[in-house]
Amino acid sequence: MDDFLTVIALIISLNAVICLYRAVIGPTTQDRLLGVNIVGTKTLVVVILITFIQAESFFLDVAIVYALLLFVVTVAVSRYLEAEGWEEMK
Amino acid sequence: MSGGYAFSKKLLLCILLFAFWVALTATLALYDLVLGAICSAFVAVITVSLLGRALDPRITPMVLLRLPVFMVRLVWEIIKANYDVAKIILNPRLPIDPRIVEYRTYLAGDLPRTVFSDSITLTPGTVTVDLEEDLLKVHCLCPYHEEGLSGLEEMVAWLFGEKRHG
Amino acid sequence: MAQNIVAGVFCCIGTFFFLLGTTGLVRMPDVFTRLHPSTKCDTLGACSVIIGMAVYSGWSWDLLKLVLIACFVLLSSATCGHAIGRSALKRDIAYWRKDRKEVEDGHGA
Repeated sequence: MDDFLTVIALIISLNAVICLYRAVIGPTTQDRLLGVNIVGTKTLVVVILITFIQAESFFLDVAIVYALLLFVVTVAVSRYLEAEGWEEMK
Repeated sequence: MSGGYAFSKKLLLCILLFAFWVALTATLALYDLVLGAICSAFVAVITVSLLGRALDPRITPMVLLRLPVFMVRLVWEIIKANYDVAKIILNPRLPIDPRIVEYRTYLAGDLPRTVFSDSITLTPGTVTVDLEEDLLKVHCLCPYHEEGLSGLEEMVAWLFGEKRHG
Repeated sequence: MAQNIVAGVFCCIGTFFFLLGTTGLVRMPDVFTRLHPSTKCDTLGACSVIIGMAVYSGWSWDLLKLVLIACFVLLSSATCGHAIGRSALKRDIAYWRKDRKEVEDGHGA
């Protein structure tokens, strides 16, 4: 079962690499933010899988904090992009 | 805010915080339970006296009881949504005809509107992109996706016990 | 043993939906249409893997934490999609229309 979960985690990690393509070439900043958000979701799932591969339940606390941080980061950055005069600020 | 009302709000918030504490500490030892009860009561009292309100007044025990039923129906909608999006993505011709439609909701208050727009985002082919007062801007992937919105609105109205008026 | 098989099936479903979300993210023409696969497929993919892991772990404290994470994922992916869409709308990013593309093709021909 551990080997199976490792394979699943590897496939999801490869998916995350493909999503990074969108984050790198994305024409607008929102595209990049979306790509980063998805990479974050996949990382969260990989952390959950690692919890059960290693049989260490403290990784689940890491996953909870990661989920909350991902949420806060995406909302904060998109609120920042929404603000007026963003082009002048950079 | 009358005394009894404020007390019941504090109690509800305290119970929610205590459930969260038990889930995080993952133990039923007496020391942890007592510490958690003290902490959640303290936080509930401080929140009410600092912010003037504990939870949104629409969060009542009835809503919390109806929430699991609502979640089951929402998960069913999500599965349908995924089947739909999967068909579109895997189609080599990519048959999409996106448009932004405006939808006026009869739900009152911030919380029902927020729940409604989050549910729209999770159901087939629709994403809420803007919410001003009672006007929602919904991005639809195909024109026929627009039809599911009113049924979803009924679901949210049922969750919060609202009736259609006007 | 049956527990492991059910957990494996849920993990496979989740991985399939993650793959679908990635495909949609790469194929779709603009940021608004990319929101659809990213919010829906990623939510269901993450939730299926979490359900599979909940079945695998059985009755333990991990189950409660997994349910908590599933709730966070459901709530946060919808809100993040909404926030990104709103910021794209406020920055006046034009959204992709089918007929406009046809008009451009007509000019090109």
